[in-house]
Amino acid sequence: MTKRKHPYGILSAFLVLLLIVAIISLGVGAIYISPLDILSNISGTSQNNTFILYNYRIPRMIIAIVIGASLAVAGAILQGILKNPLASPDVIGVTKGAGLFAVFVLIVFPTASILVLPIAAFIGAAVIAIILMIFSYAQGAKPHTLALVGVALGAICQAGIQYFMIKFPDNVNTTLLWLTGSLWGRGWSEIWILVPSIILIPFIVIFASKLDILNLGDEIAVGLGERTKFVRYVLLSIAVILTGLSVAVVGAIGFIGLIAPHVGRRLVGSRSKFLLPVSGTVGALFLLIADTLGRGIVPPVEIPAGIVTAVIGAPYFLYLLRREQKK
Amino acid sequence: MKKIKKGKLAIIYAIISILLVLAGCGSNQDSSKENLDNKQKVTVQHELGKTSIPKNPKKIVVLELSFVDALQGLGMKPIGIADDNKTDMIEKLVGDKIDYTSVGTRQQPNLEVISSLQPDLIIADYQRHKEIYKDLEQIAPTIELKSRESTYEENVDSFKTIAKAVGKEKEANQRLDEHEKTIAELKNELKEEKDQTVLPAVVRDTSFQAHTSSSFDGEFLEKLGLKNAVQNKEAYAEMNLEQLSDINPDILILANNEGKLLTDEWKGNSLWKNLKAVKNDKVFVVDRDLWTRYRGVVSAEAIGKDTVKLLNEE
Repeated sequence: MTKRKHPYGILSAFLVLLLIVAIISLGVGAIYISPLDILSNISGTSQNNTFILYNYRIPRMIIAIVIGASLAVAGAILQGILKNPLASPDVIGVTKGAGLFAVFVLIVFPTASILVLPIAAFIGAAVIAIILMIFSYAQGAKPHTLALVGVALGAICQAGIQYFMIKFPDNVNTTLLWLTGSLWGRGWSEIWILVPSIILIPFIVIFASKLDILNLGDEIAVGLGERTKFVRYVLLSIAVILTGLSVAVVGAIGFIGLIAPHVGRRLVGSRSKFLLPVSGTVGALFLLIADTLGRGIVPPVEIPAGIVTAVIGAPYFLYLLRREQKK
Repeated sequence: MKKIKKGKLAIIYAIISILLVLAGCGSNQDSSKENLDNKQKVTVQHELGKTSIPKNPKKIVVLELSFVDALQGLGMKPIGIADDNKTDMIEKLVGDKIDYTSVGTRQQPNLEVISSLQPDLIIADYQRHKEIYKDLEQIAPTIELKSRESTYEENVDSFKTIAKAVGKEKEANQRLDEHEKTIAELKNELKEEKDQTVLPAVVRDTSFQAHTSSSFDGEFLEKLGLKNAVQNKEAYAEMNLEQLSDINPDILILANNEGKLLTDEWKGNSLWKNLKAVKNDKVFVVDRDLWTRYRGVVSAEAIGKDTVKLLNEE
């Protein structure tokens, strides 16, 4: 990978772009609010759309940004640790694992407190991650093998979710949203679940250089004084936490964790110090645009963000597979 | 290098603090909305607890079709309906073009549009809209009632609850008396021999879903004196041709989905040809919207008329 010239410039350009898209997204929906109106509502000089902005648009915007960034960073970490360009939480089944456990909790313990849900999603994500690690370490799996195992695990989890849907049709509405991933009906109460992610993302960006040392290979890393196993587990746990929390809030949204790191790598090269923040910003941008489009294409009907990301993401995934094959 | 890193950190934390401040604003906003004037209110018990509703609500948003039916029975019209973007479906239900705003799909009703209508009352489906009850409550007093997969009796109960909520209990009782009379008349008119079993079902391209004695249409047909071929506590039962031929109902009432149908494939099969209903030419195709989607007092009567017309034809 070549190192591009202006990583900081690119990062700040994307942050500015994210800010602009964020403001535009606040205006898009069944009720159009002009950017000027948004500003006057936020500053308090106008009240006419305040309810919609504060109760729906702003929390959704924040959730889209945090989760987009979480999934992208988790994807970048997984791709780094597993040295596998196809690794991302959704491709390797981690998202679906989190979804299965979350649906299980939602259906079997409907009265459980809101804190149980993210924990269950985390455990689900962790179980799948552990199974994958066993496969990738025991067999020294090639990129395609890992992707295949992940797809298989994902399919099993999906089957589990479908079982619950048929067995407990009372909750079909909820579980259906879980399968595709949607920001519909999400608000401030869900943002509290994401607080750990909001803290973890900057934390991981600071420690990004560790990931680079790991990429040099274990021997060199140990030579450089790094406790490789420990660092690897910490990084992996962070990726799993970020994925689990995201799934707990919006369900299994795919392709962000896969594509954002690739876009990031094209822009700033593979040094984690730049790759992680740029991927995170790209991921946030991706989900924000997906949710905004889903809201704005055929109002008042909403298209789940997960469908929009899949429509954009699936062709790109195929393209990536082809490129990997050629190597 | 280190300095730049610190600068970057500062930016990130600045963004976070902005987000947190915004979060603070959001929660303050919620509480100020609630303390509106406490005029006269009606308290209604529903599936998710008790809700007090301002007396005689005018602007009502409904998130299921059966609630449109209920309001229709009470001589009212909702201002917002989750109509899945099918205006003609509502037109057919109400029997007239009415002025309302679509609030999106029943599965994911658009909260923004609902809030923009500033309703006095929201009527939501217990099964579909449990999760967004709190969000709906923030917009307006909300009652959650059984509609999806509900039985006929549950629908009548929902009708009564809605009547209480909109302050039309007298009208509701009158309407229900009238309803009972209509059913009694229809039952008399129905010239079907006794002990005949009936099976209503929804047919799709890959499934045959029998509606049992606990489904809305199944239970209503029993009220008309037609015994359901599947006595079960579950409202719906997926079936294959073998199971159907085992049950072998005397009358089949099929509410066909749009597009290709599983029964088209079955038609060549001798199991199908040997069904009693097929042999005796007692397979009736009915309107899917009316029979299985609307679910309400008014549509039940229409279903009853439909049944009498179809079965008495010969």
